[in-house]
Parts: sequence; structure tokens; C-alpha cells
Amino acid sequence: MYDVNTIFQIAGIGIVVAMIHTVLKQMGKEDWAHWVTLIGFVVVLYMVATIVDDLFQKIKGVFLFQG
Amino acid sequence: MKLIGAILIILATTWVGFEGAKRLSDRPKQLRQLKVAIQSLEAEIMYGLTPLAEASEHIAKQMPKPISNFFEQFAYRLLNKQETAFEAWEESLKETWGQTSMLESEREVMMQFGATLGQHDREQQQKQIKLTLSHLEREEQEAKDRQHRYERMIKSLGFLSGLLIVILML
Repeated sequence: MYDVNTIFQIAGIGIVVAMIHTVLKQMGKEDWAHWVTLIGFVVVLYMVATIVDDLFQKIKGVFLFQG
Repeated sequence: MKLIGAILIILATTWVGFEGAKRLSDRPKQLRQLKVAIQSLEAEIMYGLTPLAEASEHIAKQMPKPISNFFEQFAYRLLNKQETAFEAWEESLKETWGQTSMLESEREVMMQFGATLGQHDREQQQKQIKLTLSHLEREEQEAKDRQHRYERMIKSLGFLSGLLIVILML
């Protein structure tokens, strides 16, 4: 279900957010830069949490014989 | 199919970024044109002794597009409607300001200038014109400063935000 694409997606988000952060910081909008980084972090965290949740469900299904 | 959508999104956000940058770079340009227009209005009043309506018609012919609309409107109102100079000035400012890239502060300067128009003799009028010119000069400096600081940022920000949306939806 998940292949290596998800990792690349997260890496892409990281790179683009880092670039936006640099651009904003260079132009003296540091508060905005921090917000962008924070939002990017939250999005990635949400993605990772969903995937880890899936993993736990699968483990539960394998070892405890549940749906 | 996915690729076409991605390209469309990136093109759209890049375009938005460039449009924003264009507005930013239009503002000092139009301020400069406005300054030139007011200077020639001064010349028309001081040396040509031309009536206001005729003078602004001349200026409208000389100036490029968004500024000329304003003076055209002003001349039209002076000639064809029974309005005082200030009313005509105010109304034409209201109508044509949306077409320019200039902001509220310049509008205020122009309004103040309009209030003095046709109230004084030539020397007083010239002083008011000088005052308006120096206000506009200051605004132009500020606009140039902003352009230098934000133009590149808005362009790259448009492209990068498009890229971010595409990656998020991949």
C-alpha cells in the first residue's frame, strides 16, 4: 500500500518548506518564515502519524487475529 | 493526467506571483508619471496660464494609460458637468483610482491637492504644487524601497507554494 513514494513526498515537502523559509527570512519576514515551517512540520507529522497508525493496526491484525 | 494537473497548478501560482510583483513594480513607475503630470500642470498654470480643463486635457494626451484616464475624466467633468474643481477632482479620483497600482497614502495626497485646486492665486497654487510634489517624491522613494525588498520574494514564493501544493497532493 505504501511504497517508497511517501518518503520522497515527505522529503520534497521538507526541501520546499526549507526554501520558502530561506526566502522569507532573507526578506526580513522571520515571523512568517517560522509559521510556514511550523505548518509544514504539522502536515508531515500528520502524514507520519497516519502511516504509523496503519502499521499498528496491521500488527494488531497479525498478532491478535483481529480485523 | 496527473502531470497536466501538476503543471497547471504550478503555472497558476507562478502567474499569481508574477502578477503581484508587477503591481509592486508598477507603483513607483506610476508615481513617477504622476509627478511628471503634476509638474506639467504647474507649467501650464504658471507659464501657459491655461484654464484647468484645457490644461488637464493636454496632460491626458501626454501621459501613458492609467494616469491619462484620470486627467481625461477630470477635464470631462469640468467641461460637461456643473461641478467645482474639487468635486470634479474627487469624483475622478474615485473613479480612476482602481485602475492604478497606487495605494491609499497617495490617494490622500492627491485629495489634499485637489482641495486647494482653484482656490488660490498663482503663487499660492505653485506652493501647493511644490508641497504635493515633495509628498509624492517621498512616496516614490518608499515604493521603490518596497519593490527592491519584496519583488524577488513574491516571484519565488509563488512558484514555491505551487510546488508545495503539488507535492502535498501527489
